Amino acid sequence: MSTEIAAVDAEDFKGQALHDGEAIETSLQGTADYAALDALEMMLGRVHAEAKRLGVRNVTVDMRKLEFMNSSCFKTLVSWITDVQELPEAARYKVTFLSNPKLYWQKRSLHSLRSFAVDLVTITEA
Amino acid sequence: MVTAPPNAYVELNFRPNVQLVSVVRRFVSEFYQRTLNDPDGTSRVALATHELLENAVKYSKDGETTIRIEVDTNQPRLVTILLRNRATDPHITAIREIVDGMAAAKDSFAFYQDLLVQKAKRRDGSGLGLARICAEGEMKITYRVIEGDLVELLANTTVGVTP
Repeated sequence: MSTEIAAVDAEDFKGQALHDGEAIETSLQGTADYAALDALEMMLGRVHAEAKRLGVRNVTVDMRKLEFMNSSCFKTLVSWITDVQELPEAARYKVTFLSNPKLYWQKRSLHSLRSFAVDLVTITEA
Repeated sequence: MVTAPPNAYVELNFRPNVQLVSVVRRFVSEFYQRTLNDPDGTSRVALATHELLENAVKYSKDGETTIRIEVDTNQPRLVTILLRNRATDPHITAIREIVDGMAAAKDSFAFYQDLLVQKAKRRDGSGLGLARICAEGEMKITYRVIEGDLVELLANTTVGVTP
Protein backbone atom coordinates (compact mmCIF):
# COMPACT_ATOMS: atom_id res chain seq x y z
CA MET A 1 0.00 0.00 0.00
CA SER A 2 1.63 3.23 -1.13
CA THR A 3 1.11 6.67 0.36
CA GLU A 4 1.28 9.88 -1.66
CA ILE A 5 3.83 12.28 -0.23
CA ALA A 6 3.85 14.91 -2.96
CA ALA A 7 1.97 15.81 -6.13
CA VAL A 8 2.47 18.86 -8.31
CA ASP A 9 0.77 20.12 -11.46
CA ALA A 10 2.22 23.16 -13.24
CA GLU A 11 0.97 23.81 -16.78
CA ASP A 12 2.86 21.25 -18.91
CA PHE A 13 4.54 19.55 -15.96
CA LYS A 14 3.26 16.96 -13.54
CA GLY A 15 5.02 15.17 -10.71
CA GLN A 16 4.07 12.67 -8.07
CA ALA A 17 5.92 10.92 -5.25
CA LEU A 18 4.68 7.80 -3.48
CA HIS A 19 6.12 6.13 -0.39
CA ASP A 20 6.04 2.35 -0.35
CA GLY A 21 8.03 0.43 2.26
CA GLU A 22 11.71 1.31 2.06
CA ALA A 23 11.39 3.27 -1.17
CA ILE A 24 9.93 6.43 -2.61
CA GLU A 25 8.81 6.28 -6.22
CA THR A 26 8.73 9.60 -7.99
CA SER A 27 7.49 10.30 -11.49
CA LEU A 28 8.00 13.41 -13.64
CA GLN A 29 5.98 14.04 -16.79
CA GLY A 30 5.71 16.71 -19.46
CA THR A 31 8.08 19.65 -19.76
CA ALA A 32 10.23 20.77 -16.85
CA ASP A 33 11.01 24.32 -17.88
CA TYR A 34 10.92 27.70 -16.18
CA ALA A 35 7.20 27.35 -15.41
CA ALA A 36 7.82 24.06 -13.59
CA LEU A 37 10.77 25.19 -11.50
CA ASP A 38 8.95 26.09 -8.26
CA ALA A 39 6.85 22.92 -8.41
CA LEU A 40 9.89 20.72 -8.96
CA GLU A 41 11.85 22.39 -6.14
CA MET A 42 8.90 21.97 -3.80
CA MET A 43 8.43 18.35 -4.74
CA LEU A 44 12.07 17.33 -4.41
CA GLY A 45 12.32 19.20 -1.11
CA ARG A 46 9.38 17.19 0.15
CA VAL A 47 10.85 13.93 -1.19
CA HIS A 48 14.15 14.62 0.56
CA ALA A 49 12.49 15.53 3.86
CA GLU A 50 10.31 12.42 3.79
CA ALA A 51 13.19 10.18 2.72
CA LYS A 52 15.12 11.34 5.78
CA ARG A 53 12.15 11.08 8.13
CA LEU A 54 11.11 7.64 6.92
CA GLY A 55 14.65 6.31 6.56
CA VAL A 56 14.10 5.04 3.04
CA ARG A 57 17.04 3.45 1.25
CA ASN A 58 16.02 4.09 -2.35
CA VAL A 59 14.30 6.83 -4.30
CA THR A 60 13.30 6.17 -7.90
CA VAL A 61 12.69 9.00 -10.36
CA ASP A 62 10.75 7.88 -13.41
CA MET A 63 11.54 10.31 -16.23
CA ARG A 64 10.28 8.17 -19.09
CA LYS A 65 7.47 10.61 -19.88
CA LEU A 66 9.52 13.75 -19.27
CA GLU A 67 9.79 15.39 -22.69
CA PHE A 68 12.37 17.98 -21.69
CA MET A 69 14.14 19.51 -18.71
CA ASN A 70 15.83 22.90 -18.81
CA SER A 71 19.04 23.79 -17.02
CA SER A 72 17.27 25.47 -14.10
CA CYS A 73 15.28 22.31 -13.36
CA PHE A 74 18.37 20.19 -13.98
CA LYS A 75 20.20 22.28 -11.42
CA THR A 76 17.39 21.45 -8.97
CA LEU A 77 18.24 17.76 -9.44
CA VAL A 78 21.92 18.58 -8.85
CA SER A 79 21.06 20.49 -5.67
CA TRP A 80 18.95 17.61 -4.41
CA ILE A 81 21.72 15.08 -5.06
CA THR A 82 24.12 17.42 -3.26
CA ASP A 83 21.77 17.43 -0.26
CA VAL A 84 21.83 13.62 -0.26
CA GLN A 85 25.63 13.63 -0.45
CA GLU A 86 25.77 15.92 2.57
CA LEU A 87 23.73 13.57 4.76
CA PRO A 88 25.62 11.40 7.27
CA GLU A 89 26.63 8.22 5.49
CA ALA A 90 24.12 6.07 7.36
CA ALA A 91 21.26 8.32 6.32
CA ARG A 92 22.12 8.56 2.63
CA TYR A 93 19.78 6.96 0.16
CA LYS A 94 20.35 5.81 -3.40
CA VAL A 95 18.64 7.50 -6.35
CA THR A 96 17.70 5.59 -9.48
CA PHE A 97 16.57 7.43 -12.61
CA LEU A 98 14.43 5.58 -15.12
CA SER A 99 15.11 7.08 -18.54
CA ASN A 100 13.55 6.84 -21.97
CA PRO A 101 16.15 5.95 -24.63
CA LYS A 102 14.06 7.71 -27.28
CA LEU A 103 14.44 11.01 -25.44
CA TYR A 104 18.09 11.57 -26.30
CA TRP A 105 18.69 14.54 -24.00
CA GLN A 106 18.01 12.27 -21.01
CA LYS A 107 21.00 10.06 -21.75
CA ARG A 108 23.33 13.06 -21.87
CA SER A 109 21.90 14.91 -18.87
CA LEU A 110 21.69 11.83 -16.68
CA HIS A 111 25.25 10.90 -17.59
CA SER A 112 26.28 14.32 -16.28
CA LEU A 113 24.30 13.75 -13.09
CA ARG A 114 25.71 10.29 -12.51
CA SER A 115 29.26 11.54 -13.08
CA PHE A 116 28.54 14.14 -10.42
CA ALA A 117 27.55 11.50 -7.83
CA VAL A 118 28.60 8.10 -9.09
CA ASP A 119 28.18 6.45 -5.68
CA LEU A 120 24.56 7.55 -5.27
CA VAL A 121 23.04 7.72 -8.71
CA THR A 122 22.05 4.85 -10.99
CA ILE A 123 20.52 5.20 -14.46
CA THR A 124 18.21 2.57 -15.87
CA GLU A 125 16.91 2.73 -19.42
CA ALA A 126 13.43 1.32 -19.55
CA MET B 1 11.63 12.11 -44.78
CA VAL B 2 12.02 15.61 -46.20
CA THR B 3 15.41 16.44 -47.62
CA ALA B 4 16.75 19.81 -46.55
CA PRO B 5 18.03 22.02 -49.35
CA PRO B 6 21.63 23.23 -49.07
CA ASN B 7 22.05 25.71 -46.26
CA ALA B 8 18.45 25.32 -45.10
CA TYR B 9 17.71 27.71 -42.27
CA VAL B 10 15.01 28.85 -39.89
CA GLU B 11 15.05 32.41 -38.59
CA LEU B 12 12.74 34.03 -36.06
CA ASN B 13 12.66 37.62 -34.92
CA PHE B 14 10.39 37.95 -31.91
CA ARG B 15 9.97 38.77 -28.26
CA PRO B 16 10.16 35.37 -26.61
CA ASN B 17 8.51 34.63 -23.30
CA VAL B 18 8.75 31.56 -21.11
CA GLN B 19 5.84 29.80 -22.80
CA LEU B 20 7.11 30.53 -26.32
CA VAL B 21 10.52 29.04 -25.60
CA SER B 22 9.04 25.55 -25.36
CA VAL B 23 6.88 26.19 -28.42
CA VAL B 24 9.97 27.09 -30.46
CA ARG B 25 11.93 24.12 -29.08
CA ARG B 26 9.14 21.76 -30.18
CA PHE B 27 9.00 23.36 -33.62
CA VAL B 28 12.77 23.11 -34.05
CA SER B 29 12.70 19.53 -32.88
CA GLU B 30 9.94 18.60 -35.33
CA PHE B 31 11.49 20.55 -38.21
CA TYR B 32 14.96 19.05 -37.87
CA GLN B 33 13.68 15.57 -37.09
CA ARG B 34 12.28 15.63 -40.60
CA THR B 35 15.34 17.14 -42.25
CA LEU B 36 18.46 15.95 -40.40
CA ASN B 37 17.63 12.26 -40.00
CA ASP B 38 19.69 12.29 -36.79
CA PRO B 39 17.53 12.05 -33.64
CA ASP B 40 20.42 12.66 -31.28
CA GLY B 41 21.64 15.63 -33.31
CA THR B 42 18.11 17.02 -33.44
CA SER B 43 17.83 16.63 -29.67
CA ARG B 44 21.09 18.55 -29.17
CA VAL B 45 19.94 21.36 -31.46
CA ALA B 46 16.60 21.56 -29.63
CA LEU B 47 18.32 21.66 -26.24
CA ALA B 48 20.63 24.45 -27.34
CA THR B 49 17.74 26.41 -28.84
CA HIS B 50 15.80 26.17 -25.59
CA GLU B 51 18.70 27.20 -23.37
CA LEU B 52 19.71 30.12 -25.59
CA LEU B 53 16.14 31.43 -25.79
CA GLU B 54 15.56 31.11 -22.04
CA ASN B 55 18.69 33.17 -21.48
CA ALA B 56 17.30 35.75 -23.88
CA VAL B 57 13.99 35.89 -21.98
CA LYS B 58 15.74 36.33 -18.65
CA TYR B 59 18.49 38.75 -19.61
CA SER B 60 17.42 40.69 -22.69
CA LYS B 61 17.22 44.46 -22.27
CA ASP B 62 14.28 44.97 -24.62
CA GLY B 63 12.99 41.48 -25.33
CA GLU B 64 13.80 41.69 -29.05
CA THR B 65 15.55 38.48 -30.06
CA THR B 66 16.72 36.92 -33.29
CA ILE B 67 17.41 33.24 -33.52
CA ARG B 68 18.66 31.65 -36.71
CA ILE B 69 19.38 27.97 -37.14
CA GLU B 70 21.29 27.10 -40.28
CA VAL B 71 22.26 23.72 -41.64
CA ASP B 72 25.11 23.37 -44.10
CA THR B 73 24.12 20.17 -45.84
CA ASN B 74 27.62 19.28 -46.95
CA GLN B 75 28.81 16.18 -45.13
CA PRO B 76 29.28 16.11 -42.23
CA ARG B 77 26.48 18.57 -41.69
CA LEU B 78 27.35 21.66 -39.74
CA VAL B 79 24.53 23.18 -37.70
CA THR B 80 24.93 26.77 -36.57
CA ILE B 81 22.60 28.46 -34.12
CA LEU B 82 22.86 32.21 -33.89
CA LEU B 83 21.14 34.15 -31.13
CA ARG B 84 21.25 37.93 -31.14
CA ASN B 85 19.82 40.33 -28.55
CA ARG B 86 20.67 43.29 -26.38
CA ALA B 87 21.83 42.00 -23.02
CA THR B 88 22.41 43.50 -19.61
CA ASP B 89 25.97 44.11 -18.40
CA PRO B 90 25.84 41.36 -15.72
CA HIS B 91 24.68 38.89 -18.37
CA ILE B 92 27.45 39.88 -20.77
CA THR B 93 29.94 39.34 -17.95
CA ALA B 94 28.41 35.93 -17.23
CA ILE B 95 28.61 34.98 -20.94
CA ARG B 96 32.30 35.93 -21.02
CA GLU B 97 33.05 33.91 -17.89
CA ILE B 98 31.32 30.75 -19.09
CA VAL B 99 32.24 30.81 -22.78
CA ASP B 100 35.84 31.88 -22.22
CA GLY B 101 36.13 29.33 -19.41
CA MET B 102 34.82 26.54 -21.61
CA ALA B 103 37.12 27.57 -24.47
CA ALA B 104 40.15 27.57 -22.20
CA ALA B 105 39.31 24.28 -20.48
CA LYS B 106 41.22 21.20 -21.60
CA ASP B 107 38.14 19.10 -20.89
CA SER B 108 34.76 20.77 -21.36
CA PHE B 109 32.94 17.97 -19.53
CA ALA B 110 35.21 18.38 -16.49
CA PHE B 111 34.59 22.15 -16.61
CA TYR B 112 30.85 21.47 -16.63
CA GLN B 113 31.13 19.07 -13.71
CA ASP B 114 33.02 21.71 -11.70
CA LEU B 115 30.30 24.21 -12.57
CA LEU B 116 27.61 21.81 -11.30
CA VAL B 117 29.38 21.75 -7.94
CA GLN B 118 29.70 25.55 -7.87
CA LYS B 119 26.09 26.23 -8.85
CA ALA B 120 24.39 23.50 -6.80
CA LYS B 121 23.39 25.84 -4.00
CA ARG B 122 22.77 28.93 -6.12
CA ARG B 123 19.24 30.30 -5.85
CA ASP B 124 19.14 32.83 -8.71
CA GLY B 125 18.98 31.00 -12.04
CA SER B 126 21.06 27.98 -12.89
CA GLY B 127 24.12 29.55 -14.52
CA LEU B 128 24.42 26.25 -16.37
CA GLY B 129 22.69 26.86 -19.70
CA LEU B 130 25.65 27.75 -21.91
CA ALA B 131 27.92 25.14 -20.35
CA ARG B 132 25.19 22.55 -20.80
CA ILE B 133 25.00 23.38 -24.51
CA CYS B 134 28.75 22.76 -24.80
CA ALA B 135 29.07 19.70 -22.57
CA GLU B 136 25.79 17.87 -23.20
CA GLY B 137 25.01 19.34 -26.60
CA GLU B 138 28.60 18.87 -27.80
CA MET B 139 28.60 22.32 -29.30
CA LYS B 140 31.24 24.96 -29.59
CA ILE B 141 30.06 28.41 -28.54
CA THR B 142 31.59 31.72 -29.54
CA TYR B 143 30.31 35.24 -28.97
CA ARG B 144 30.87 38.82 -29.87
CA VAL B 145 29.56 42.03 -28.37
CA ILE B 146 28.65 44.82 -30.79
CA GLU B 147 27.72 48.41 -29.91
CA GLY B 148 28.29 47.75 -26.23
CA ASP B 149 25.25 45.61 -25.50
CA LEU B 150 24.29 43.72 -28.68
CA VAL B 151 25.36 40.14 -28.12
CA GLU B 152 25.74 37.49 -30.80
CA LEU B 153 26.11 33.95 -29.59
CA LEU B 154 27.03 31.26 -32.13
CA ALA B 155 26.70 27.59 -31.27
CA ASN B 156 28.11 25.07 -33.77
CA THR B 157 27.99 21.34 -34.03
CA THR B 158 28.11 18.61 -36.62
CA VAL B 159 25.31 16.11 -36.98
CA GLY B 160 25.05 12.69 -38.54
CA VAL B 161 25.50 11.85 -42.16
CA THR B 162 22.35 10.90 -44.03
CA PRO B 163 22.49 7.23 -45.04
